[in-house]
Amino acid sequence: MTKLSVRDVRKSFTGKSGRTDVLGGLTFDIRDGDFVSIIGPSGCGKSTVFNIIAGLLEPDSGSLVYEGALVEGLRGRVGYMMQKDLLLPWRTVLDNVVLGLELRGVPRKIAVEEAREHLSTYGLAGFEDSYPQALSGGMRQRVALIRTLIVNPDLLLLDEPFSALDYQTRLYLEGVLMEAVENFRKTVVLVTHDIDEAVALSKRVIVLSGRPAGVKAIYDIELAERTPIGARSDPRFAGYFHALCGELDIQTKRGEAA
Amino acid sequence: MTRVESQLAARPAKVQPRKRHRRARLDTPLGRVALQVGSIALLLGVWEAAARFGWISAFLFGSPAGIYESARRSLLDGSLLVDVWTTSFEALLGFVIGTAAGSLAGLALWYSRFVARVVEPLIVAFNSVPKIAFAPVIILWFGTGLLAKVALAVSLTSIVALIAAYQAAKDADPDLQRLALALGATKSQVFRKIIVPASLPAIVACFRINLGFGLVGAVVGEFISSQRGLGHLVFTASSLYDISTVWVGLFVLMAIGFALYFVIDRIERALLPWKLDRGGHDLNV
Repeated sequence: MTKLSVRDVRKSFTGKSGRTDVLGGLTFDIRDGDFVSIIGPSGCGKSTVFNIIAGLLEPDSGSLVYEGALVEGLRGRVGYMMQKDLLLPWRTVLDNVVLGLELRGVPRKIAVEEAREHLSTYGLAGFEDSYPQALSGGMRQRVALIRTLIVNPDLLLLDEPFSALDYQTRLYLEGVLMEAVENFRKTVVLVTHDIDEAVALSKRVIVLSGRPAGVKAIYDIELAERTPIGARSDPRFAGYFHALCGELDIQTKRGEAA
Repeated sequence: MTRVESQLAARPAKVQPRKRHRRARLDTPLGRVALQVGSIALLLGVWEAAARFGWISAFLFGSPAGIYESARRSLLDGSLLVDVWTTSFEALLGFVIGTAAGSLAGLALWYSRFVARVVEPLIVAFNSVPKIAFAPVIILWFGTGLLAKVALAVSLTSIVALIAAYQAAKDADPDLQRLALALGATKSQVFRKIIVPASLPAIVACFRINLGFGLVGAVVGEFISSQRGLGHLVFTASSLYDISTVWVGLFVLMAIGFALYFVIDRIERALLPWKLDRGGHDLNV
């Protein structure tokens, strides 16, 4: 079943150097329970797509259809994670985790109880009263992930959430994410520049063309295992990786597409 | 290893630890206080000697002994305490009212970009007038009592707080606001849960500046017209060439500012607990 349809979305920005068409008629579907990665050349407007789905930007034209109904955006219904952990520095770990629940008016006592449960599930028990700056990058991003999951969003929007982390921490957090996605049967849209991550985690990868961006290709990823390490060990992994590098025209030393 | 290399390798090992060691012995709470008290005592000693031996004019510059005598006198007859109370009360009241009103107005400007754009040049214009120039008018309007001094202090502190708070609200991380919005926050929730706490450090930093401005407002108000207060004390004493009393007024003003600074420090710790331990003290720059 189609969860979200993006239909012919166009967006341009007007700046000092004139008008820039960022999205030139973008159309794709996201199915229920899907894990879709959006990749594309840098500056192609990946984050713009993301902000339009989240309801933070209005498209110039085109529409979003969510579960069969035309919507403006999915404000309040999405989980949102970025490369920056976006933890509020003035709130403790616990208070950061409850932010989404608090905004929805969930009573403090219930919110805190739930937050404590989540924190201990993800190995952060004992850090409830710490401030974010006392935590390592990996821990902070884990807190951000918990904050995203605790509001039980219909759709997870992830904008390069792990790209600032070292490789081991990233593998670990990818695992945590995949487990949570399986357990809670979430639909995920991951915006990334990391082809390797896109192949390892996704059921489908949407490749965007350069500006103004449109859908260049869609790949169904079929790997035996969708765990960070399992997927990367699959013999078919390299094939997808090469194909996607080719789509993005990444040049090798010899000057040919990878 | 050549000789040059071995010398280079040996030198830092020999020189650096000793240097660090000497500093470490003095760099303790007790050591620092001893240094501070010692340097003040030295200064007072040199001053007293200079006045006694006629190196400087005791009439124009006063002397520590004279200052002590004049302080003792005004303490005993109770006039100093009245002056201290008067000026502190005026300054604090002006500080609290001006800072609160200014901060709230500055934060409120975040709400409407339209209003902010209309008001911004007016704020800049008001801010570029030296507020002290208003003093005569303020005294005409508010009389020669408490009200005029408070009003002057408010005119100084409110504009500083307003600009600081507005700037801080404008600078609040847009990504944090995006996050809150994506989670379904209303504008008023973004304001209360993101903008206000994000602006708080700048607002508290402005407390320190405004404390000084509160005192400036009170003292200048007293200079122009008053019956009591430290500004009155300094002004009348200097017109009588009573330098010792002038110094008493100045030192007491300094002590008040100093004491209030520590009060602000406490407030800062209470309001910004997350700012307390930022680390970086071990950086050997």
